[in-house]
Amino acid sequence: MSVNGDVPETVTAALADQRVEGRVCLEAGAGVGNTTAGLLAAGAKRVYAVTNDADHAATVRDRIGDRNADRLAVIEADLRATPLATDSVDLVAGHGLCNVLPPAELAPIAAELTRVAKPDGCLVVDDYAVPPADAAVNRLFALENAAARVVDGRPALTFYPPAVLAAVFAANGWSVERRKTLLNPVPWTEAHLDAHAEVVREYAAALPDSLGEPLTAMAEDLVAAIGSERTGTMYSLAFRRADG
Amino acid sequence: MLTFGSIALNWLEQEGANQLVELVLDHGVNHFDVAPTYGDAELKLGPKLRQYREDIFLGCKTQEREYEGAARKIDRSLNRLGIDTIDLYQIHGLEYEDELDTITADGGALDAIREAKAAGKVDHIGLTSHGNPGLILDAIDRIDDLETVMFPLNPVVAGKDGDEYDYEAVLERCEAEGIGTLGIKAFAKGSWPPTDELAEADRPYANWYEPVDTPEDIRERFDFAAARGLDTVVSPGDPKLVKMVLDAASRSAGMDEARQRALIEEARHDDSPVPEQLHH
Repeated sequence: MSVNGDVPETVTAALADQRVEGRVCLEAGAGVGNTTAGLLAAGAKRVYAVTNDADHAATVRDRIGDRNADRLAVIEADLRATPLATDSVDLVAGHGLCNVLPPAELAPIAAELTRVAKPDGCLVVDDYAVPPADAAVNRLFALENAAARVVDGRPALTFYPPAVLAAVFAANGWSVERRKTLLNPVPWTEAHLDAHAEVVREYAAALPDSLGEPLTAMAEDLVAAIGSERTGTMYSLAFRRADG
Repeated sequence: MLTFGSIALNWLEQEGANQLVELVLDHGVNHFDVAPTYGDAELKLGPKLRQYREDIFLGCKTQEREYEGAARKIDRSLNRLGIDTIDLYQIHGLEYEDELDTITADGGALDAIREAKAAGKVDHIGLTSHGNPGLILDAIDRIDDLETVMFPLNPVVAGKDGDEYDYEAVLERCEAEGIGTLGIKAFAKGSWPPTDELAEADRPYANWYEPVDTPEDIRERFDFAAARGLDTVVSPGDPKLVKMVLDAASRSAGMDEARQRALIEEARHDDSPVPEQLHH
Protein backbone atom coordinates (compact mmCIF):
# COMPACT_ATOMS: atom_id res chain seq x y z
CA MET A 1 0.00 0.00 0.00
CA SER A 2 2.63 2.49 1.04
CA VAL A 3 4.58 2.26 -2.20
CA ASN A 4 2.36 4.97 -3.65
CA GLY A 5 2.29 7.28 -0.65
CA ASP A 6 -0.75 7.76 1.52
CA VAL A 7 -4.02 7.43 -0.34
CA PRO A 8 -6.56 9.88 1.05
CA GLU A 9 -9.52 8.34 2.83
CA THR A 10 -11.80 10.23 0.46
CA VAL A 11 -10.36 8.27 -2.46
CA THR A 12 -10.41 4.97 -0.61
CA ALA A 13 -14.02 5.52 0.41
CA ALA A 14 -15.08 6.49 -3.12
CA LEU A 15 -13.45 3.39 -4.62
CA ALA A 16 -14.40 0.99 -1.82
CA ASP A 17 -17.48 -0.39 -3.58
CA GLN A 18 -15.98 -0.33 -7.09
CA ARG A 19 -14.36 -3.23 -8.89
CA VAL A 20 -10.79 -2.03 -9.46
CA GLU A 21 -8.64 -5.15 -9.35
CA GLY A 22 -7.55 -6.29 -12.77
CA ARG A 23 -9.36 -3.45 -14.51
CA VAL A 24 -8.26 -0.66 -16.83
CA CYS A 25 -8.83 2.65 -15.06
CA LEU A 26 -8.65 6.33 -15.90
CA GLU A 27 -8.08 9.18 -13.49
CA ALA A 28 -9.54 12.23 -15.21
CA GLY A 29 -7.70 15.33 -14.00
CA ALA A 30 -4.84 13.67 -12.15
CA GLY A 31 -3.77 16.50 -9.83
CA VAL A 32 -1.07 15.04 -7.59
CA GLY A 33 -2.26 11.55 -8.48
CA ASN A 34 -4.14 10.63 -5.32
CA THR A 35 -6.76 8.63 -7.15
CA THR A 36 -4.14 7.09 -9.40
CA ALA A 37 -2.34 5.93 -6.25
CA GLY A 38 -5.61 4.58 -4.87
CA LEU A 39 -6.42 2.71 -8.09
CA LEU A 40 -2.95 1.17 -8.24
CA ALA A 41 -3.12 0.21 -4.57
CA ALA A 42 -6.47 -1.44 -5.21
CA GLY A 43 -4.92 -3.62 -7.90
CA ALA A 44 -5.82 -1.88 -11.16
CA LYS A 45 -4.37 -3.65 -14.20
CA ARG A 46 -3.57 -0.32 -15.82
CA VAL A 47 -4.15 3.31 -14.89
CA TYR A 48 -4.21 6.23 -17.29
CA ALA A 49 -3.60 9.44 -15.35
CA VAL A 50 -4.77 12.20 -17.65
CA THR A 51 -4.07 15.87 -16.99
CA ASN A 52 -3.60 18.98 -19.10
CA ASP A 53 -1.17 20.38 -16.53
CA ALA A 54 2.51 19.61 -17.17
CA ASP A 55 3.43 20.22 -13.52
CA HIS A 56 0.78 17.79 -12.34
CA ALA A 57 1.94 15.21 -14.85
CA ALA A 58 5.51 15.57 -13.59
CA THR A 59 4.34 15.28 -9.97
CA VAL A 60 2.42 12.09 -10.67
CA ARG A 61 5.39 10.60 -12.56
CA ASP A 62 7.78 11.49 -9.74
CA ARG A 63 5.54 10.31 -6.98
CA ILE A 64 4.10 7.16 -8.44
CA GLY A 65 5.52 6.48 -11.89
CA ASP A 66 8.86 4.84 -11.17
CA ARG A 67 7.48 2.06 -9.03
CA ASN A 68 4.54 1.38 -11.30
CA ALA A 69 6.01 1.86 -14.76
CA ASP A 70 4.32 -1.28 -16.04
CA ARG A 71 0.85 -0.27 -14.89
CA LEU A 72 0.76 3.53 -15.13
CA ALA A 73 0.61 5.85 -18.10
CA VAL A 74 0.64 9.56 -17.34
CA ILE A 75 -0.89 11.36 -20.29
CA GLU A 76 -0.81 15.09 -20.89
CA ALA A 77 -3.98 15.82 -22.80
CA ASP A 78 -7.10 17.94 -22.87
CA LEU A 79 -9.92 15.96 -21.30
CA ARG A 80 -12.18 17.02 -24.16
CA ALA A 81 -10.00 15.11 -26.60
CA THR A 82 -7.83 12.38 -25.11
CA PRO A 83 -5.70 10.00 -27.18
CA LEU A 84 -7.41 6.99 -25.55
CA ALA A 85 -9.26 4.46 -27.66
CA THR A 86 -13.04 4.31 -27.71
CA ASP A 87 -14.58 1.72 -25.32
CA SER A 88 -11.23 1.02 -23.66
CA VAL A 89 -11.66 1.88 -19.97
CA ASP A 90 -13.45 -0.17 -17.29
CA LEU A 91 -13.52 2.49 -14.60
CA VAL A 92 -13.35 6.27 -14.99
CA ALA A 93 -12.70 8.35 -11.86
CA GLY A 94 -12.87 12.13 -11.55
CA HIS A 95 -11.96 13.10 -7.98
CA GLY A 96 -12.20 16.83 -7.28
CA LEU A 97 -12.17 17.42 -11.04
CA CYS A 98 -15.45 19.12 -11.86
CA ASN A 99 -15.02 22.07 -9.52
CA VAL A 100 -12.09 23.28 -11.63
CA LEU A 101 -14.11 22.96 -14.85
CA PRO A 102 -16.14 25.93 -16.07
CA PRO A 103 -19.74 25.00 -16.93
CA ALA A 104 -19.07 25.16 -20.68
CA GLU A 105 -16.44 22.39 -20.42
CA LEU A 106 -18.56 19.95 -18.44
CA ALA A 107 -20.59 18.61 -21.35
CA PRO A 108 -17.69 17.99 -23.78
CA ILE A 109 -15.61 16.34 -21.05
CA ALA A 110 -18.52 14.14 -19.99
CA ALA A 111 -18.92 13.14 -23.65
CA GLU A 112 -15.21 12.29 -24.00
CA LEU A 113 -15.13 10.26 -20.77
CA THR A 114 -18.19 8.41 -22.02
CA ARG A 115 -16.51 7.72 -25.36
CA VAL A 116 -13.46 6.07 -23.77
CA ALA A 117 -15.50 4.08 -21.23
CA LYS A 118 -16.51 0.55 -22.12
CA PRO A 119 -20.27 0.06 -22.53
CA ASP A 120 -20.35 -1.89 -19.26
CA GLY A 121 -17.88 0.49 -17.61
CA CYS A 122 -18.27 2.41 -14.38
CA LEU A 123 -17.79 6.06 -13.51
CA VAL A 124 -17.07 7.66 -10.15
CA VAL A 125 -17.33 11.44 -9.77
CA ASP A 126 -16.36 13.01 -6.46
CA ASP A 127 -16.73 16.70 -5.79
CA TYR A 128 -17.62 19.47 -3.41
CA ALA A 129 -21.17 20.55 -2.80
CA VAL A 130 -21.74 24.30 -2.97
CA PRO A 131 -20.23 25.64 0.28
CA PRO A 132 -22.69 27.21 2.72
CA ALA A 133 -23.35 30.90 2.02
CA ASP A 134 -21.74 31.98 5.31
CA ALA A 135 -18.51 30.01 4.76
CA ALA A 136 -15.41 32.20 5.08
CA VAL A 137 -13.63 30.23 2.35
CA ASN A 138 -16.15 31.64 -0.15
CA ARG A 139 -14.31 34.96 0.06
CA LEU A 140 -11.05 33.36 -1.02
CA PHE A 141 -12.77 31.35 -3.77
CA ALA A 142 -14.49 34.52 -5.03
CA LEU A 143 -11.16 36.32 -5.20
CA GLU A 144 -9.64 33.37 -7.04
CA ASN A 145 -12.50 33.45 -9.55
CA ALA A 146 -12.20 37.20 -10.02
CA ALA A 147 -8.48 36.85 -10.77
CA ALA A 148 -9.15 33.96 -13.14
CA ARG A 149 -11.85 35.85 -15.01
CA VAL A 150 -9.63 38.91 -15.49
CA VAL A 151 -6.74 36.82 -16.81
CA ASP A 152 -8.44 33.89 -18.55
CA GLY A 153 -12.00 35.03 -18.99
CA ARG A 154 -13.18 31.91 -17.15
CA PRO A 155 -13.72 31.01 -13.51
CA ALA A 156 -11.15 28.97 -11.62
CA LEU A 157 -13.72 27.21 -9.46
CA THR A 158 -17.35 26.22 -9.86
CA PHE A 159 -19.11 24.14 -7.24
CA TYR A 160 -21.77 21.91 -8.72
CA PRO A 161 -24.58 20.37 -6.70
CA PRO A 162 -24.64 16.57 -7.14
CA ALA A 163 -27.91 16.82 -9.08
CA VAL A 164 -26.21 18.97 -11.71
CA LEU A 165 -23.37 16.50 -12.29
CA ALA A 166 -25.86 13.63 -12.26
CA ALA A 167 -27.80 15.43 -15.01
CA VAL A 168 -24.69 16.17 -17.09
CA PHE A 169 -23.66 12.51 -17.10
CA ALA A 170 -27.24 11.32 -17.48
CA ALA A 171 -27.27 13.19 -20.78
CA ASN A 172 -24.50 10.79 -21.85
CA GLY A 173 -26.38 7.69 -20.80
CA TRP A 174 -25.09 7.30 -17.24
CA SER A 175 -27.36 6.72 -14.27
CA VAL A 176 -26.44 7.23 -10.63
CA GLU A 177 -26.05 3.92 -8.90
CA ARG A 178 -24.79 5.14 -5.55
CA ARG A 179 -24.37 8.43 -3.71
CA LYS A 180 -22.10 8.80 -0.69
CA THR A 181 -20.90 11.67 1.50
CA LEU A 182 -17.11 11.58 1.56
CA LEU A 183 -16.48 14.51 3.89
CA ASN A 184 -18.79 16.31 6.26
CA PRO A 185 -17.51 18.84 7.05
CA VAL A 186 -14.75 19.53 4.54
CA PRO A 187 -11.57 20.51 6.41
CA TRP A 188 -10.09 23.50 4.55
CA THR A 189 -6.70 23.48 6.21
CA GLU A 190 -4.02 26.13 6.06
CA ALA A 191 -2.30 24.05 3.36
CA HIS A 192 -5.44 24.09 1.20
CA LEU A 193 -5.97 27.81 1.66
CA ASP A 194 -2.31 28.45 0.80
CA ALA A 195 -2.73 26.40 -2.35
CA HIS A 196 -5.72 28.53 -3.35
CA ALA A 197 -3.77 31.72 -2.57
CA GLU A 198 -1.02 30.36 -4.79
CA VAL A 199 -3.51 30.15 -7.66
CA VAL A 200 -4.34 33.81 -7.11
CA ARG A 201 -0.60 34.61 -7.10
CA GLU A 202 -0.15 32.83 -10.41
CA TYR A 203 -2.96 34.80 -12.03
CA ALA A 204 -1.67 38.02 -10.45
CA ALA A 205 1.74 37.42 -12.00
CA ALA A 206 0.11 37.73 -15.43
CA LEU A 207 -1.30 41.14 -14.57
CA PRO A 208 0.28 44.57 -14.26
CA ASP A 209 1.67 45.12 -10.76
CA SER A 210 -0.92 47.78 -10.06
CA LEU A 211 -3.60 45.09 -10.30
CA GLY A 212 -1.65 41.96 -9.41
CA GLU A 213 -0.13 43.19 -6.17
CA PRO A 214 -3.38 44.14 -4.45
CA LEU A 215 -4.93 40.81 -5.56
CA THR A 216 -2.04 38.90 -4.03
CA ALA A 217 -2.19 40.97 -0.86
CA MET A 218 -5.92 40.33 -0.56
CA ALA A 219 -5.42 36.58 -0.96
CA GLU A 220 -2.73 36.55 1.70
CA ASP A 221 -4.86 38.61 4.06
CA LEU A 222 -7.77 36.22 3.55
CA VAL A 223 -5.64 33.16 4.24
CA ALA A 224 -4.38 34.78 7.45
CA ALA A 225 -7.88 35.85 8.47
CA ILE A 226 -9.51 32.47 7.78
CA GLY A 227 -6.70 30.32 9.16
CA SER A 228 -8.62 27.13 8.53
CA GLU A 229 -12.30 26.29 8.29
CA ARG A 230 -14.49 23.23 8.39
CA THR A 231 -17.46 23.76 6.14
CA GLY A 232 -19.56 22.15 3.43
CA THR A 233 -19.47 18.58 2.18
CA MET A 234 -17.71 16.48 -0.43
CA TYR A 235 -19.81 13.86 -2.19
CA SER A 236 -19.24 10.86 -4.42
CA LEU A 237 -21.50 9.68 -7.23
CA ALA A 238 -21.03 6.25 -8.79
CA PHE A 239 -22.60 5.77 -12.21
CA ARG A 240 -23.34 2.90 -14.52
CA ARG A 241 -24.28 3.14 -18.20
CA ALA A 242 -28.03 2.85 -18.37
CA ASP A 243 -27.67 0.65 -21.46
CA GLY A 244 -24.63 -1.23 -20.11
CA MET B 1 -16.18 2.56 26.28
CA LEU B 2 -13.67 4.41 28.47
CA THR B 3 -10.75 3.04 30.46
CA PHE B 4 -9.27 5.19 33.19
CA GLY B 5 -5.53 5.53 32.70
CA SER B 6 -4.54 5.55 36.36
CA ILE B 7 -1.15 7.11 35.63
CA ALA B 8 -3.09 10.36 36.15
CA LEU B 9 -3.10 9.59 39.89
CA ASN B 10 0.69 9.83 40.00
CA TRP B 11 0.53 13.61 39.70
CA LEU B 12 -1.93 14.04 42.59
CA GLU B 13 -1.68 13.89 46.35
CA GLN B 14 -3.57 10.98 47.92
CA GLU B 15 -6.69 13.03 48.66
CA GLY B 16 -6.85 14.32 45.10
CA ALA B 17 -6.24 10.81 43.81
CA ASN B 18 -9.16 9.51 45.88
CA GLN B 19 -11.40 12.25 44.51
CA LEU B 20 -10.42 11.54 40.93
CA VAL B 21 -11.21 7.83 41.36
CA GLU B 22 -14.61 8.75 42.83
CA LEU B 23 -15.26 11.07 39.88
CA VAL B 24 -14.31 8.38 37.39
CA LEU B 25 -16.56 5.82 39.10
CA ASP B 26 -19.42 8.36 39.25
CA HIS B 27 -19.24 8.51 35.45
CA GLY B 28 -19.77 4.78 35.27
CA VAL B 29 -16.21 3.89 34.26
CA ASN B 30 -15.30 0.49 35.68
CA HIS B 31 -12.13 -0.37 33.76
CA PHE B 32 -8.90 1.00 35.22
CA ASP B 33 -5.41 0.58 33.84
CA VAL B 34 -2.18 0.99 35.79
CA ALA B 35 1.48 -0.05 35.70
CA PRO B 36 4.35 -0.28 38.13
CA THR B 37 6.30 2.22 36.04
CA TYR B 38 3.74 5.00 36.58
CA GLY B 39 5.46 6.48 39.65
CA ASP B 40 3.21 6.15 42.67
CA ALA B 41 0.04 5.45 40.71
CA GLU B 42 -0.35 1.91 42.07
CA LEU B 43 0.02 3.08 45.66
CA LYS B 44 -2.36 6.00 45.18
CA LEU B 45 -4.97 3.85 43.45
CA GLY B 46 -4.78 1.29 46.26
CA PRO B 47 -7.18 2.74 48.88
CA LYS B 48 -10.11 3.40 46.53
CA LEU B 49 -9.40 0.24 44.54
CA ARG B 50 -9.74 -1.80 47.71
CA GLN B 51 -12.87 0.13 48.73
CA TYR B 52 -14.55 -0.55 45.38
CA ARG B 53 -12.75 -3.75 44.43
CA GLU B 54 -15.91 -5.48 43.16
CA ASP B 55 -16.79 -2.54 40.90
CA ILE B 56 -13.43 -2.13 39.20
CA PHE B 57 -11.92 -4.27 36.46
CA LEU B 58 -8.22 -3.65 36.87
CA GLY B 59 -5.56 -3.89 34.20
CA CYS B 60 -1.88 -3.83 35.13
CA LYS B 61 1.23 -4.63 33.15
CA THR B 62 4.91 -5.43 33.06
CA GLN B 63 7.85 -4.46 30.90
CA GLU B 64 9.74 -7.52 32.12
CA ARG B 65 10.39 -10.02 29.35
CA GLU B 66 11.65 -12.98 31.38
CA TYR B 67 10.11 -15.27 33.98
CA GLU B 68 11.89 -14.05 37.09
CA GLY B 69 11.27 -10.36 36.51
CA ALA B 70 7.63 -10.81 35.52
CA ALA B 71 6.87 -13.06 38.50
CA ARG B 72 8.43 -10.50 40.80
CA LYS B 73 6.53 -7.61 39.20
CA ILE B 74 3.18 -9.36 39.54
CA ASP B 75 3.73 -9.90 43.26
CA ARG B 76 5.05 -6.39 43.68
CA SER B 77 2.01 -4.85 41.96
CA LEU B 78 -0.41 -7.00 43.98
CA ASN B 79 1.43 -5.87 47.08
CA ARG B 80 1.48 -2.19 46.18
CA LEU B 81 -2.17 -2.23 45.09
CA GLY B 82 -3.13 -4.25 48.16
CA ILE B 83 -5.29 -6.77 46.29
CA ASP B 84 -5.27 -10.52 45.58
CA THR B 85 -6.03 -10.61 41.88
CA ILE B 86 -5.28 -8.44 38.87
CA ASP B 87 -8.12 -8.82 36.37
CA LEU B 88 -6.01 -8.19 33.28
CA TYR B 89 -2.24 -8.50 33.21
CA GLN B 90 -0.52 -7.18 30.12
CA ILE B 91 2.85 -7.55 28.48
CA HIS B 92 3.71 -3.85 28.30
CA GLY B 93 5.23 -1.92 25.41
CA LEU B 94 6.17 -4.73 23.05
CA GLU B 95 8.48 -3.19 20.49
CA TYR B 96 10.78 -5.78 18.91
CA GLU B 97 10.44 -9.26 17.49
CA ASP B 98 13.23 -10.59 19.71
CA GLU B 99 11.30 -9.42 22.77
CA LEU B 100 8.39 -11.51 21.61
CA ASP B 101 10.78 -14.46 21.26
CA THR B 102 11.98 -13.98 24.82
CA ILE B 103 8.48 -13.53 26.24
CA THR B 104 7.10 -16.64 24.58
CA ALA B 105 10.16 -18.86 25.11
CA ASP B 106 10.58 -21.26 28.02
CA GLY B 107 11.48 -19.12 31.00
CA GLY B 108 9.83 -16.10 29.42
CA ALA B 109 7.46 -13.60 31.02
CA LEU B 110 4.42 -15.47 29.70
CA ASP B 111 5.32 -18.52 31.81
CA ALA B 112 5.21 -16.32 34.90
CA ILE B 113 1.90 -14.73 33.92
CA ARG B 114 0.33 -18.10 33.15
CA GLU B 115 1.57 -19.46 36.42
CA ALA B 116 0.07 -16.45 38.21
CA LYS B 117 -3.16 -17.09 36.34
CA ALA B 118 -3.22 -20.70 37.52
CA ALA B 119 -2.60 -19.46 41.05
CA GLY B 120 -5.50 -16.99 40.82
CA LYS B 121 -3.30 -13.89 40.90
CA VAL B 122 -4.20 -12.91 37.34
CA ASP B 123 -7.48 -13.44 35.53
CA HIS B 124 -6.81 -12.50 31.88
CA ILE B 125 -3.73 -11.95 29.71
CA GLY B 126 -3.20 -8.94 27.45
CA LEU B 127 -0.60 -7.03 25.45
CA THR B 128 0.22 -3.36 24.90
CA SER B 129 2.32 -1.94 22.08
CA HIS B 130 2.83 1.18 20.07
CA GLY B 131 5.21 -0.74 17.92
CA ASN B 132 4.74 -2.22 14.50
CA PRO B 133 1.20 -3.54 13.92
CA GLY B 134 2.77 -6.54 12.22
CA LEU B 135 4.47 -7.42 15.49
CA ILE B 136 1.13 -7.24 17.31
CA LEU B 137 -0.36 -9.59 14.72
CA ASP B 138 2.58 -11.96 15.29
CA ALA B 139 1.94 -11.81 19.01
CA ILE B 140 -1.73 -12.69 18.44
CA ASP B 141 -0.58 -15.67 16.37
CA ARG B 142 1.94 -16.81 18.95
CA ILE B 143 0.05 -16.22 22.22
CA ASP B 144 -3.05 -18.42 22.15
CA ASP B 145 -4.43 -17.19 25.45
CA LEU B 146 -4.11 -13.49 24.60
CA GLU B 147 -7.41 -11.76 25.38
CA THR B 148 -6.75 -8.03 24.87
CA VAL B 149 -4.41 -5.71 22.98
CA MET B 150 -3.78 -2.01 23.61
CA PHE B 151 -2.41 0.14 20.76
CA PRO B 152 -2.49 3.73 19.40
CA LEU B 153 -5.41 4.98 17.35
CA ASN B 154 -6.20 8.56 16.34
CA PRO B 155 -6.89 10.44 13.08
CA VAL B 156 -3.18 10.96 12.35
CA VAL B 157 -2.39 7.26 12.61
CA ALA B 158 -5.57 6.27 10.77
CA GLY B 159 -4.62 8.45 7.78
CA LYS B 160 -1.26 6.82 7.18
CA ASP B 161 -1.12 3.91 4.78
CA GLY B 162 2.23 2.34 5.58
CA ASP B 163 2.20 -1.12 7.11
CA GLU B 164 3.90 0.39 10.16
CA TYR B 165 0.67 2.33 10.83
CA ASP B 166 -1.81 -0.37 9.90
CA TYR B 167 -3.52 -0.73 13.26
CA GLU B 168 -6.75 -1.18 11.30
CA ALA B 169 -5.47 -4.66 10.48
CA VAL B 170 -5.02 -5.28 14.20
CA LEU B 171 -8.59 -4.12 14.84
CA GLU B 172 -9.91 -6.46 12.18
CA ARG B 173 -7.97 -9.43 13.46
CA CYS B 174 -9.05 -8.78 17.03
CA GLU B 175 -12.65 -8.55 15.99
CA ALA B 176 -12.38 -11.82 14.09
CA GLU B 177 -10.74 -13.59 17.03
CA GLY B 178 -12.79 -12.06 19.82
CA ILE B 179 -9.82 -10.22 21.31
CA GLY B 180 -10.59 -7.02 23.22
CA THR B 181 -9.14 -3.73 21.91
CA LEU B 182 -8.01 -0.75 23.97
CA GLY B 183 -6.98 2.49 22.22
CA ILE B 184 -4.21 4.75 23.46
CA LYS B 185 -3.01 8.13 22.16
CA ALA B 186 -6.56 8.95 21.09
CA PHE B 187 -6.03 12.46 22.48
CA ALA B 188 -2.53 13.04 21.11
CA LYS B 189 -2.14 16.19 19.05
CA GLY B 190 1.54 15.81 18.24
CA SER B 191 5.01 15.78 19.69
CA TRP B 192 6.05 18.43 22.17
CA PRO B 193 8.27 21.16 20.71
CA PRO B 194 12.01 20.37 21.01
CA THR B 195 13.29 20.89 24.57
CA ASP B 196 15.44 23.86 23.53
CA GLU B 197 12.18 25.60 22.58
CA LEU B 198 10.06 24.29 25.45
CA ALA B 199 11.86 22.78 28.42
CA GLU B 200 10.33 19.58 29.75
CA ALA B 201 9.62 21.35 33.04
CA ASP B 202 7.63 24.02 31.19
CA ARG B 203 5.20 21.66 29.49
CA PRO B 204 1.64 22.34 30.62
CA TYR B 205 0.62 18.67 30.62
CA ALA B 206 2.18 15.53 32.01
CA ASN B 207 1.60 13.53 28.84
CA TRP B 208 4.69 12.55 26.89
CA TYR B 209 2.99 13.94 23.79
CA GLU B 210 1.14 17.23 23.38
CA PRO B 211 -2.54 16.47 23.93
CA VAL B 212 -5.65 18.12 22.52
CA ASP B 213 -7.08 20.10 25.40
CA THR B 214 -10.38 21.78 24.56
CA PRO B 215 -13.73 20.12 25.34
CA GLU B 216 -14.66 20.15 21.64
CA ASP B 217 -11.41 18.55 20.47
CA ILE B 218 -11.47 15.98 23.24
CA ARG B 219 -15.04 15.05 22.45
CA GLU B 220 -14.21 14.73 18.78
CA ARG B 221 -11.17 12.56 19.46
CA PHE B 222 -13.10 10.31 21.81
CA ASP B 223 -15.94 9.91 19.31
CA PHE B 224 -13.45 9.20 16.54
CA ALA B 225 -11.58 6.49 18.46
CA ALA B 226 -14.80 4.89 19.65
CA ALA B 227 -16.25 4.94 16.13
CA ARG B 228 -13.26 3.06 14.68
CA GLY B 229 -14.39 -0.04 16.55
CA LEU B 230 -12.24 -0.06 19.68
CA ASP B 231 -13.83 -1.73 22.68
CA THR B 232 -12.51 1.00 24.93
CA VAL B 233 -10.52 4.23 24.78
CA VAL B 234 -7.91 4.87 27.46
CA SER B 235 -8.06 8.32 29.10
CA PRO B 236 -4.96 10.52 28.86
CA GLY B 237 -2.32 10.56 31.55
CA ASP B 238 -2.76 14.10 32.79
CA PRO B 239 -5.42 14.48 35.51
CA LYS B 240 -6.38 17.94 34.20
CA LEU B 241 -7.78 16.29 31.07
CA VAL B 242 -9.63 13.42 32.70
CA LYS B 243 -12.78 15.37 33.59
CA MET B 244 -13.17 16.59 30.00
CA VAL B 245 -12.69 13.06 28.72
CA LEU B 246 -15.31 11.72 31.16
CA ASP B 247 -17.74 14.36 29.91
CA ALA B 248 -16.93 13.50 26.31
CA ALA B 249 -17.51 9.80 26.90
CA SER B 250 -20.75 10.46 28.79
CA ARG B 251 -22.13 12.55 25.96
CA SER B 252 -20.76 10.52 23.08
CA ALA B 253 -23.26 10.07 20.28
CA GLY B 254 -21.02 8.29 17.78
CA MET B 255 -19.44 9.69 14.65
CA ASP B 256 -20.45 8.96 11.07
CA GLU B 257 -17.90 7.94 8.46
CA ALA B 258 -17.92 11.24 6.55
CA ARG B 259 -16.91 13.04 9.72
CA GLN B 260 -14.27 10.45 10.59
CA ARG B 261 -12.79 10.98 7.13
CA ALA B 262 -12.89 14.76 7.66
CA LEU B 263 -10.70 14.39 10.76
CA ILE B 264 -8.31 12.07 8.96
CA GLU B 265 -8.07 14.45 6.00
CA GLU B 266 -7.44 17.39 8.27
CA ALA B 267 -4.64 15.56 10.05
CA ARG B 268 -3.16 14.32 6.78
CA HIS B 269 -2.68 17.87 5.55
CA ASP B 270 -1.00 18.88 8.80
CA ASP B 271 2.01 16.89 7.78
CA SER B 272 1.63 15.88 4.17
CA PRO B 273 4.56 14.47 2.22
CA VAL B 274 2.71 15.32 -1.00
CA PRO B 275 2.89 18.80 -2.59
CA GLU B 276 0.28 21.25 -1.43
CA GLN B 277 -2.94 20.84 -3.28
CA LEU B 278 -6.33 22.39 -3.75
CA HIS B 279 -8.27 19.25 -3.06
CA HIS B 280 -8.98 16.56 -0.53
